[in-house]
Amino acid sequence: MNDGQLRDLCNRFFDAVESHDLETLAAIYSDDLQFWANVTGTAKTKEENLQILRDGKAVHRRRTYDDRQIRTFETGFLAQYSCNIVQLDGRKRSLSSCLIAQCKDGQITRIDEYLDSSRFSDASRRPAAK
Amino acid sequence: MTRMTDSEIRVLANRFFDAYQDRRPDELKDIYCDETIIWTNVFQKEMSGEDNRSALPASYAKARRRTYDDRTINTFDEGFVIQYTLTGVHHTGHKGALQVCIVALCRNNKIVRIDEYMDTSKFRDWRGPNFHEDG
Repeated sequence: MNDGQLRDLCNRFFDAVESHDLETLAAIYSDDLQFWANVTGTAKTKEENLQILRDGKAVHRRRTYDDRQIRTFETGFLAQYSCNIVQLDGRKRSLSSCLIAQCKDGQITRIDEYLDSSRFSDASRRPAAK
Repeated sequence: MTRMTDSEIRVLANRFFDAYQDRRPDELKDIYCDETIIWTNVFQKEMSGEDNRSALPASYAKARRRTYDDRTINTFDEGFVIQYTLTGVHHTGHKGALQVCIVALCRNNKIVRIDEYMDTSKFRDWRGPNFHEDG
């Protein structure tokens, strides 16, 4: 895949996650996708990742993937970005994250995601009962 | 300015991590340039390369040994991204591992910017029980 194809795939991926377009994500992920995250230290399959996204939709009001800095290399892309979250109580949080994706034939075959989960926990915290 | 090749960038990446591992701030001085900036997602702020080098002796004192293992390097036009395991043997004998990723921008055989990503919630396990900042 060339630089333009990889950048297009990268933005399609983030746009689909942002808009909760699981159909597009299913098409972007290869069937043997491995999605690893430093938070868990384990890799999830395609179906496991899609299920996580299905379950996670109600956790926040909105999530956007902004300030995407994309760089491509021979076998994939690197994206540094800010994940901006609007919580159910209206408060906003921002996480600085990066991910490295391996790509083949127009699909993503592996993702390694790095973020600081202590900030993520704070962002996911539901409003305290009054 | 000539563009660095894939090999030159990989050599620079390994020189950087070997220098860190071997506790050689002098080598880092040659790898950083005057304008080098280091940013980490832990503190969400930038520091200069010189400030980073100055902090190393205190950082080194906190562990008996640190190695930068399982280095997976991918290079792009302006630099590299490296995924690695930071293995630490602490003064208590506890051995811990952290999964870290660094994005480095390079120019003229120097590193001009580093962005580091790690998970602070793993620090406690990495340090192990009975850890003290002063070693």
